[in-house]
Amino acid sequence: MDQPSLLPCIGALAAAGAVCMLRLAWGRAQRSVSLNGAAWALLAFALAMGMQGAGAWGIAVVTLAALAAAFFCLTIAAVTAPPGKAHASNRRAHMPPEGREPLRIGGRLLSFLLSVPGAMLVAMILGLAARNMAGALGAPEADGNVLMLFLMPLLWALLAMLVLLWPNRGRQLALLAVPALLGLATLWMTTP
Amino acid sequence: MTLRLSKALVQRGLSTHAAIGLLASALLYIVCLTGTVTVFYEEWQRLEQPDAPEMQRIAPDAVQRAVASVLASEKGRKTTEHLYVHLPTDALPRATLTTDHQAVHVDAHGRVVAKELNGWSEFLLNLHYTLNIPGMVGLTIVGALGVMTLALSLTGVIAHPRIFRDAFRLRARDQGGVGLADWHNRLGVWTLPFALAIALTGAMIGLGSINAYGLAQGFYKGDVEAAYAPIFGKEGRPNAKAAPLADVATALRTMAVRFPDVRPTYVFMHEPGTVGQRLQVLALPPRRLVYGETYNFDPAGRFLGTVGLAEGATGQQVAASAYNLHFGNYGGLTVKIAYMLLGGALCVVVATGTSIWLGKRERRGFRQPCLRNGWNAIVWGSGLALALTLLARLWLGNAAPFMAIFWLSLAVLVALGVALPERYQARRALQWGLGLCVAALVPTVLAA
Repeated sequence: MDQPSLLPCIGALAAAGAVCMLRLAWGRAQRSVSLNGAAWALLAFALAMGMQGAGAWGIAVVTLAALAAAFFCLTIAAVTAPPGKAHASNRRAHMPPEGREPLRIGGRLLSFLLSVPGAMLVAMILGLAARNMAGALGAPEADGNVLMLFLMPLLWALLAMLVLLWPNRGRQLALLAVPALLGLATLWMTTP
Repeated sequence: MTLRLSKALVQRGLSTHAAIGLLASALLYIVCLTGTVTVFYEEWQRLEQPDAPEMQRIAPDAVQRAVASVLASEKGRKTTEHLYVHLPTDALPRATLTTDHQAVHVDAHGRVVAKELNGWSEFLLNLHYTLNIPGMVGLTIVGALGVMTLALSLTGVIAHPRIFRDAFRLRARDQGGVGLADWHNRLGVWTLPFALAIALTGAMIGLGSINAYGLAQGFYKGDVEAAYAPIFGKEGRPNAKAAPLADVATALRTMAVRFPDVRPTYVFMHEPGTVGQRLQVLALPPRRLVYGETYNFDPAGRFLGTVGLAEGATGQQVAASAYNLHFGNYGGLTVKIAYMLLGGALCVVVATGTSIWLGKRERRGFRQPCLRNGWNAIVWGSGLALALTLLARLWLGNAAPFMAIFWLSLAVLVALGVALPERYQARRALQWGLGLCVAALVPTVLAA
């Protein structure tokens, strides 16, 4: 087997081993820093092998091997776990209201508008600004455009999450307005 | 490993997770389910038309003959602007020509043998890509669902501080919601790398149209093609004046001699048979995530250069890798099976998420049987409706109205689920229905 083929194979085996080590480490009553560290180090080594052997393809294959090992461990857990009598969590999600709690339809609609179209618009502005910044720093046009294509959904998800996590409406608005203004300013300064 | 987060943040995380889940779960489930089935897109096509000619390779001269004969058969019709030749691959060992007017299979000698009949596979792909909503709207909605998946993954981690510590604990047989929560959390945490990769690439693909529109408006005077050109290459200038057909055979022979390590998968001809015609060969390099590299040729079949998808700018390579990473077609059947299992796990995560939320409300005394039955109808009815479309393909043929069958049957099932009194076990009936459909499909699929 040539080296480019061998390294991802070694990486895949190491990744499976790392997941099994994590299983051991996390299954202990007391946290074992050394075992935990060794497992993460082995996982890092596995990814490095995949990367060295076949770049992104190697990383993808090594990751699949790690997930396969994890699902194997989960299958064992599912088969061997005895039926228990534990009570399920009743943690309230407060979503939507229960009983006679106010519906707050206006507030919820505003939350939706801020986190879906609002966050999307801000993410697009930031993506376009990042594209221009990349160009100003000398990145090829293709890199800038692809950066925008990937950054926009990622930023949208982060902004939507942060908006909904923040309980204060003023801070929610600021969370969108400040990056939007910064992005617009960047666009204005960097667009020829 | 336990994340140390404040109680308030964890509670907000749970609320956010629930809010996004409730907003997106029904459509997200359909997208996950169809994505899982779409992993075997090539295999479904072979199933749909098992008698189409198959071959490991096709000779360059045979491809040239096939192109000439297909274009000759279109004399008198509007000149085709784009012609694609799918070359035999391991997953789909068939040679298929597609023009603006038709799609046909050819045999190893380049003779047209049959029309391509893959209506169900195309319906499935379209359902996954756009939820059958035409234009940019469907694609954008599916892209937004990718964004929601990203947000759900992140808030899921925030809402469950012990999610990694308990990563191997699966009390599968516990009743009263514990087992359900464990399935959701364990599969959720172990599909996290997969979910993030699928969601980000899916969102990038789905939102590509509006993002390209934004790029075009901002920097390319509204020209969307110009926004994509630095990544995927430029379209040539059309010149409709007639010219001899481009020499595909020479181009393919050049590929075999100059680039023996890559496998040609497609031939693209733009404005074939005109002065403005362009010839490109897409070829797959080994052990790469990119869907291929585009090799440009002049009409005489002389090599001009590559677009750079495999060896060009980082951005080009990243963009070209998104598709295979999303669809799982970069490592043969093994990776496809892994994607099917992971996709199935993602379906379980989505399905159990809303069920957990309903269960918690029921345990607190807020019973909502209509909602419960409606959700069950989405979970089991989507699979049932999809199975019905495949049965229609196998029993009625390629022209069966797949879209109508899927959406109408799902609408009826959901309406029945919501309307039926609580004593009727909608879930059990749907499970039986799905089981019967699958049982009916198995012998047909095996026979094919």
